[in-house]
Amino acid sequence: MKKEWQTPKLEVLNINM
Amino acid sequence: MKTQQITLEKTIVQSEGNIASDMDGEKVMLSVQKGKYYNLGELGGEIWDLLKEPITIHELVTTLQSQYDVAQTECEEQVTDFINQLLEQGLVRIEDRINS
Repeated sequence: MKKEWQTPKLEVLNINM
Repeated sequence: MKTQQITLEKTIVQSEGNIASDMDGEKVMLSVQKGKYYNLGELGGEIWDLLKEPITIHELVTTLQSQYDVAQTECEEQVTDFINQLLEQGLVRIEDRINS
């Protein structure tokens, strides 16, 4: 059975390094 | 609609210098070069894993379509858009592959 599709997104995380 | 900068025939591969880790089912990544953290999500993480070896977007879409319930056009558009985002951040690069 195929999995449910979800739109792939690139999220930039705001973490101060 | 967004202009697609790359075609399905382009070969894409991960860039060097990124540290990826699975966190609660999602792929989180640190770009050492940019000093930025990214969340690729669950599906983005699967795509990232497929990009370990050079692969064309067409091959990528075919692989994903075999695993997910998605129309080809929708899959092609969304994967191409996602790859463009990765390219903009320098996380992947286009590789010139010569067919022997």
